[in-house]
Parts: sequence; structure tokens; C-alpha cells
Amino acid sequence: MSQTEQVLEETCGSVRIYTLNRTKQLNALSFAMISRLLELFHACDHDPSVKLIIMKGNGRAFCAGGDVAAVVRDISKGDWKLGANYFRKEFTLNYLMATYSKPQVSFLNGIVMGGGAGASIHGRFRIATENSVFAMPETALGLFPDVGASYYLSRLRGFFGEYVGLTGARLDGAEMLACGLATHFVPSKKLSLLEEELRKVDSFDATIISSIISQFSQYPSLKANSAYNRLHIIDKCFSRKTVEEIISVLESKAVEHKDEWITSTVQTLKKASPTSLKISLRSIREGRLEGVGECLVREYRMVCCVMKGEVSRDFFEGCRALLLDKDKNPNWQPSRLECVTDEMVDRHFSKVDDIDWEDLKLPPRSNLPVHAIAKL
Amino acid sequence: MSSSSSSTERVALRAQVLSRHLHPSSSSSSSPCLLEPRACLEYSPAELSESIDFDAKAMRKLMDDHNLEDRDWLYGLIIQSNLFNPRDRGGKVFVGPDYNQSKEQQRVMTMKRIEYLAECGVFKGYLTDFSPPSQLRRFALQEVSDSFDHSLSIKIGVHFFLWGGALQFFGTKRHHDKWLSDTENYRVKGCFAMTELGHGSNVRGIETITTYDSDTGEFIVNTPCESAQKYWIGGAANHATHTVVFSQLKINGTNQGVHAFIVPIRDADGNVCPNIRIADCGHKIGLNGVDNGRIWFDNVRIPRENLLNSVADVSADGQYLSAIKDPDQRFAAFMAPLTSGRVILASSATYSAKIGLSIAIRYALTRRAFSLTSNGPEVLLLDYPTHQRRLLPLLAKTYAMSFAANHLKKLYVKRTPESIKTIHVVSSAFKPTLTWHNMRTLQECREAVGGQGLKTENRVGHLKSEYDVQSTFEGDNNVLMQQVSKALLGEYVSAKKKNRPFNGLGLEHMNKPCPLIPSQLTSSILRSIQFQMNIFQLRERDLLNRFAAEVAQHQAQGVSREITFTLTYSLAEDLGKAFADLSIMQIFIEAEEAVPAGHLKNVLGLVRSLYAIILLEEDAAFLRYGYLSTDNAAAVRKEVAKLCVELRPHALALVSSFGIPDAFLSPLAFNWIEANAWPSVEN
Repeated sequence: MSQTEQVLEETCGSVRIYTLNRTKQLNALSFAMISRLLELFHACDHDPSVKLIIMKGNGRAFCAGGDVAAVVRDISKGDWKLGANYFRKEFTLNYLMATYSKPQVSFLNGIVMGGGAGASIHGRFRIATENSVFAMPETALGLFPDVGASYYLSRLRGFFGEYVGLTGARLDGAEMLACGLATHFVPSKKLSLLEEELRKVDSFDATIISSIISQFSQYPSLKANSAYNRLHIIDKCFSRKTVEEIISVLESKAVEHKDEWITSTVQTLKKASPTSLKISLRSIREGRLEGVGECLVREYRMVCCVMKGEVSRDFFEGCRALLLDKDKNPNWQPSRLECVTDEMVDRHFSKVDDIDWEDLKLPPRSNLPVHAIAKL
Repeated sequence: MSSSSSSTERVALRAQVLSRHLHPSSSSSSSPCLLEPRACLEYSPAELSESIDFDAKAMRKLMDDHNLEDRDWLYGLIIQSNLFNPRDRGGKVFVGPDYNQSKEQQRVMTMKRIEYLAECGVFKGYLTDFSPPSQLRRFALQEVSDSFDHSLSIKIGVHFFLWGGALQFFGTKRHHDKWLSDTENYRVKGCFAMTELGHGSNVRGIETITTYDSDTGEFIVNTPCESAQKYWIGGAANHATHTVVFSQLKINGTNQGVHAFIVPIRDADGNVCPNIRIADCGHKIGLNGVDNGRIWFDNVRIPRENLLNSVADVSADGQYLSAIKDPDQRFAAFMAPLTSGRVILASSATYSAKIGLSIAIRYALTRRAFSLTSNGPEVLLLDYPTHQRRLLPLLAKTYAMSFAANHLKKLYVKRTPESIKTIHVVSSAFKPTLTWHNMRTLQECREAVGGQGLKTENRVGHLKSEYDVQSTFEGDNNVLMQQVSKALLGEYVSAKKKNRPFNGLGLEHMNKPCPLIPSQLTSSILRSIQFQMNIFQLRERDLLNRFAAEVAQHQAQGVSREITFTLTYSLAEDLGKAFADLSIMQIFIEAEEAVPAGHLKNVLGLVRSLYAIILLEEDAAFLRYGYLSTDNAAAVRKEVAKLCVELRPHALALVSSFGIPDAFLSPLAFNWIEANAWPSVEN
């Protein structure tokens, strides 16, 4: 399959429409797709005839994430740097989207996970629907929420970002809108009408685009048992300094409240990779104090450390258990939180000790709109 | 020389940047530029134009030194809670108290913030774990709360370090068991009643008097006159339930000196206890989030067990018991643990200076004024040598003083009976030096950002009134500096009397031959560690000799020791400063030596040289006593300007390395145009 078919490209006046088209893999981002998107976004940035970019996915997913299975395959050929190369390009694309001079509208009509979130949330407008399912499920896979998630998760209200990032909790469209991951909610049956209107746009003025989307948008109410109705308890628990303390406060709340949500949250945390949990928490905490570029540079250090597999091999074990053998029974090493030392965590945040390795180099940016300047 | 080639490159880079300013059209081909025609000023973020060519994270680690994750956690707790007054300015969120609130409202908010932090577990172990790592954690968290608001950290500090510290260090098991855990979780709110209207630094002169009634087994605490009212007692006006009172203890007609007692002052419902009168200290120039109060004790009776009896006790039948016979020594032993307050103040002063400089330098990298060519673009403030000269030496000093504060904290947490004296002298030198530096820095930063510095929202100006008190509390700066000179003199006299080499307080250099200063100072000599150490050692050596001689001369004429010290203040002041500068220099060099070779180390070397050389230029002592010739003073002045130019390209990286989160700076440090745009008025 040629790369142009994995990303369908359309031009309609001043608008470019890019459709992720790898439906069998739920539009998981292949290296070719990322490379192509990077080219396209670079080109549009400098092309005065382009004023708006629409991103969407074919089939039942917007994008289920990065093509992790391919990355693992590459690394198993013997060179972790092939894996690192994938993330270098992906993170560069994330940075470009986060600091883009023109509005990007993403139609999140289905699964939006991991790398799929990275390819949309950084953009100006994110449209959720009743089909949206958002998650950053990396801790279950021995990875951590990357693609700049330490930037956008850390900026959610209170400590909801820690909750979403550590547990991999799934959010529906209404929740995405409530917490700010989505800017609008449009029922899926109205999407084609909305797209028709947007295709006529000849302006990069965000207020004009926003008002067009608003004509189709709704404010759905949260489902009764939504996690977003539990912000109070989430703040109480997920504000704690360490993963161990978070779990222990959750457990004490479980005794007080007899709430099934708490029990299942604890269970999810206990199933995730202990190393992943610890580096993810620290990543979100550091990300809260950093610009989006700094977040991606740091996450690149982290992901290289994971790919290199010297401190922990949980990522490979997670992929084996969830994607290859599908026994869903990963054998994490270390298997317990208290065995993951500070030194092991620290190494994920240090420069990678390798002669050819260097920090992620972000592309130079200029003429940024106000909201992008604020992210620096 | 590699540094000169890299500095040439940097000059070339600056030239490029400048030419881009001058010919903006040359870069337009690479930008879309189809938004609107650029008729108006646009904010261009410093991050996009300035290069950061050393590892700012590694530098931040040197600056913060310890507990970085704990700091980031607390920064996050503050940023994520609505209690800390978050507001959106120019697309970024900033936190900071609303100083437009009345003092009563500010106090309520401060207390709410403390309760929130307590609930999050910030104060866990504050009064139960005194291991060195735990003490460093407390220092780190204290610095972070201080960066949010001085009132917040002071109110926390009064409760934990003064009240809690008094319980811990002056009290014994019975006090620990009764009050420590309730203090740690804020069921008991404590304050610290030492200062009186009539007595501050001279604690031994306080007039509050306590007697013992052996019939009932009670102490009776009394305020005998208006000048004895307790004054500036943080927490007393509104919130405190208990206080530790410092009072003369009179037993059977004999005054045993100053002792500390626990007195409950409010009941659980917040009502003031009988025989206690409390009044507010009123509105202050800063720290209005702290409820400073005044207390009168009208023969208040407390149980005998409420005497904090670590060094002295009174038996049930009214006998005074103490292992230390000399009241002066007893008092010194008693007060020693309170050094922690001085340590925290010194280090928190550097954080305030960091905030001021981060804001002023970021602004100077985005704000332009005047063109140097007709029709040319206006020039960035920090590209003016004058602006560099105003801010960059203060930046270098802040680096030096951060290393000094880190050193002092470690000295304190690893204290031994042998190091108590060193800690006393070093903290007495550093607290004044660092707090004075902070005030001076804030004033310069306020002026450097112009009128914008007058808005409290922009922090730099307001911080001056918040931090002014630092030169007074925990020991008046001038009084402390005199103690430094006295201590040095003590070392001198004892070394000479016993004919022993100097050992301690960094005076070992006195055992070596007097260093020589070259008659012609070149740039490379001025930047060498050897020269810099030599000239600071020469100054300390000479001033100590002069001071000792002057004191000896007075005493030979029969002048008492006390009066002698009131007459020799000029030399004492110069000597105290010489000691502080040399100690900081030494600490800087040690920190620099521990850094592996590379860019970061090179930049640190420039910073250290600017620190050393700006002191040579500023302190008249170098000319007054002839350590520098007038020719050499001219060479020094030239070198300051050169170093400023060389540090200019690193300015953003150096302030970023302070690690103060954007949310703790101010709108002025970022997109100040958008922050002031009309839509922000409408919102």
C-alpha cells in the first residue's frame, strides 16, 4: 500500500483535508503516515493559499495511536534507534501542530488514543461526537503518555490529568468536552454538514471557524457515573506526591465510600507497569511547569530510554502481552512500585548515554498566533 | 583559546540577530506573513529568538540543588488549585495573591491555602522527622511557598519552625507528646511571642516577667508595662491557639534570665482566653496575609509543666535547676536551634531575587525602545550595554548567592556540636548579605521594567514591600554583621594568644604569605580564580589585622570592650562584608569545580568572574585600602562591561535555569501585549 493511500489528501479552496486511511489498523500511525503528515504540515505552513486544515479518520477510529507493533518489530531487528527515529518524527509533528500558525480542525468521531491524541489535541479545534473514545492507555503497555501528553494532560483541571494519564481511563465525547480535551461536541450525523461549511472557509481567523462549528455543536450532559463528576475525590487522591500514596489514599477512600469506581481505579493502577506509572506521574508533574517544546524534548529522552530497554523492558513485555501473544498477562519487571528506585526513574529523564544520540531538535517557528505563543 | 573562539561565534550570532532586526524583509520569504500587514508592535517570544546552548535542566539542578521533584510537586499543587487565585493573562495562567484584598481577606486566604497544603500532605513529617533529607525537603517546600507569597511561607514558618521548633528544641518529652502531632496537623495553631514593643534584637532585655507559685504549682506570666507588650507576633491577631512566651523568670527574688513558656491564648472556638488581651498590629507595607498581633498577659496562670525545660527547670517546690550555670551560655545554648529561621530567610531571599530577575530579563528580551538608525527598528532593552550593566551583575550575584544558600542549608542540616559556631557566623553573614542583595535587585528590576513594575500583578515592585522585613526579622542585618566581625576578631585574638595557626571560619589563608596583586591587571588575570581568591583573601586579611589593631589600641587606652565595639564600627562593617564575599566566592568556586568540563562550566566561569569583578568595582574598600590601584580599578570597570556583553547571549538560559515556573512569574515576563489587549479588559 503506498503512503499516499494511508493519508488521503484533498484540496478544497483554502482548505486541506487529510484523512487517516488505514482502517484495518484503526488508523494507527505508521512511520510513512507520520512522515507524510510532517511534510504536509510543513508545506502548508509556508503556503499562503492554505488557511485551514481538517484532520479526520476513515472507519470507526480517528486514530488508535502510534504503530507500536511496527516499532517493536524494528527494534527487535537489533537497533533501538529505529524506534527512536519513529518518535523523533512523531514528536516533531506534535510540536508543529501545537505551534501551528493556521487552525487545525480534527473530527474525533471514534477512537482517539495515544498517538491519535497527539495528532489532534495540540491543534486549535477538536470536535468530539457521541462515538468518541479518548484514552492515553500507555501505562498498561509499559510506556508512558507521550506525544506531548505531559503538556496537555497536566493542564486539565485539578489533577484529572494525572488520573487520565496514569489509569488510561476512557473518556467519551461529553467528558472530552467537559474537561477541555475537545473544544466542541457535534453529533456525528451533523459532521458532513459541518464539513461542507468548513470547506468553504477562506480565513484563518479562529473566531470565524469557531462560530461555524458552534452552529452545529451541542452541550451533552455527562453520564451519571462519569469520572468527571468525581473531580473532588480525584483531586484528593491524584494530587499526592507519589504513586504509592495515590494508591494508598484511593484504598482508604474505598473503605469509606464503597464506590465501585474507586475499586476499579485501584485495580487498573495495580495492573499497569509500576515503572510506567512512576515515570508517567513525574512526566506530568514536570510537564505542568514546562512549555510544549520542553515537554516533547523531555518525552523524547524518556522514550529513547524506554526503547533502549536498559532500565526496564516493560515496553517490550507489554507489547508482547497485549499486542502479539495477546495473553493480557504482562510480567512487569520490577513487579512492585517500591522496587522501582528513584535512580531508575531518574535515568528516564537524563540524556541518553550513547555516542550518536542527541536531544530532540525542534524546528524553528515564527509568526505564531497568541495561543501558540502561550504554549512555548 | 576555545572560549574566545566560541565567544567570537556568539558575537557573530548577535550580529546576525541584529541584522535581522534591521532588515526584517530578508526573513519574510520564509514566513507566511499573510496575516495582517505588520504595522503594529508584535510580541515576539524570547524563546524563539534566543538560543539556549547549555543544558538548562542541569543548571537548574545546580541552582535548586535538592528536592527538585518535591518542589515541582508543590508548584503543581499551587497552580492546580483555585485557592491560589489563578488568572489567565495573554493565554497563560498566573498564580499569586490578590493584593487588592483587605488584610482580613488576605489572612483568610492564607489560612485556607495552608489548610489545603496540609490536606495534600505537604507538612507530613515536619515535626516528627528531623533527618537531614527531611530537613532539606522542608527547606525546599518552604522556598516554593515563598515563591508564591511571602505571607504564606511566613505563616507556615511561624507555626512550624518557630512554635514547632521551640517545642521540639526547647521542650522535652512531655511537650513533644502533648503538642507535636497536633501541631503537625494544625489542630493546634502556634505562635512565637519573643519580640516586645521595647525590645527586639536585645532579647535578654525583654520585660515580660514570670514568677512561680509553689502553692498551686503554677507559673504566673505578666506584662508589667506597655513596653513589655509582645509585638509583631505572627498568628496572634486571628488564628493562634497557643503561644510560646519568652519571659524573664524570677524565682525567689532572683532573676534567672529569659525562659520560654507555653501559654494557651485561644480556646477551640477561637475565643481569647481569660487574662489575655490581644490587638492587631494593623495594616503593613507587606505580609498582610499574616495576622501579626500584640499580646498582654495579665498574671496568666499556667501549669509548671508548661516551662520548656530543655536547659533549665523549676521543681514543684520552686527550686531553680540548670546544668548550665552561666546565664549567658544558657541563653546561647537555648537559642542555637533558631538558626534555621536565618537559614531559610537567606535562601528565600535568593528565590525572590530570581523571580525579579526572571521577569525583568524576560521583559528586556521582548521590549524595545528607541532606534539607533533612522527608520530602523527599535532595539531590545537587553541589547543596550546600559541595561546589561544594570541587570547582569545582579544575575551573577544571584547565582553566587544561590550557591551560598545551598551551602548554608547543608551546613545547617549536618550540624554537629562542633559546627554550631561556624553555622552561627556564616548564617549571620549570609542572611544580611543575601537579603540586602534581594532588596537591591528588586529595586533595580522594578526600574528596569519601567512603569509596568508598579502593577502588583507584575510582582517585581510589590515584592520589595513584601521582603523589606527580611533585613529586620530573625536578627537585624546590621547587628548580625557586627557579630561576624566580633567572631573573626575572637579567632584572631585566640590564634595570636596561643600562637597557633588559624583554623576555621575560612581564615586558614591567614597562615600563608600575604598574596600579591599584579600591578597591571589584564583581562585574563582578572578572570582567573587565583587572582579572584587572592584579592578577596587580601582584603579579609588586611581588614582583620586593621580591626584587631584598632580594637587593641582602644583597649590599651582603657576603653571597655563594649564601648570599643561601638567606636570601631566602620572597620567592622568592611570586615563583615569581606568575610561574606570571600566565603561566597569560595563556595562558588567549589560548585564550579564539581561541574564536568563543557559549555555549562564555561558559562558558570563567566558568571563567577562577573560576580568577583563587580564586587571589586562596587566596594570602595578595594580602593580605600589600596588593594586596587586607580589604574587597576579602571581595568576592573572595563572588564565588567566586557563580561556583560559575553553573558548577554546566555541571559534567557540563565534565568530559565532558575526553574521558577512561568505561572509564578508575571504577565510582564511573557506576552505583555496580549495580556493588556482590549479583549482582556472585556473578560
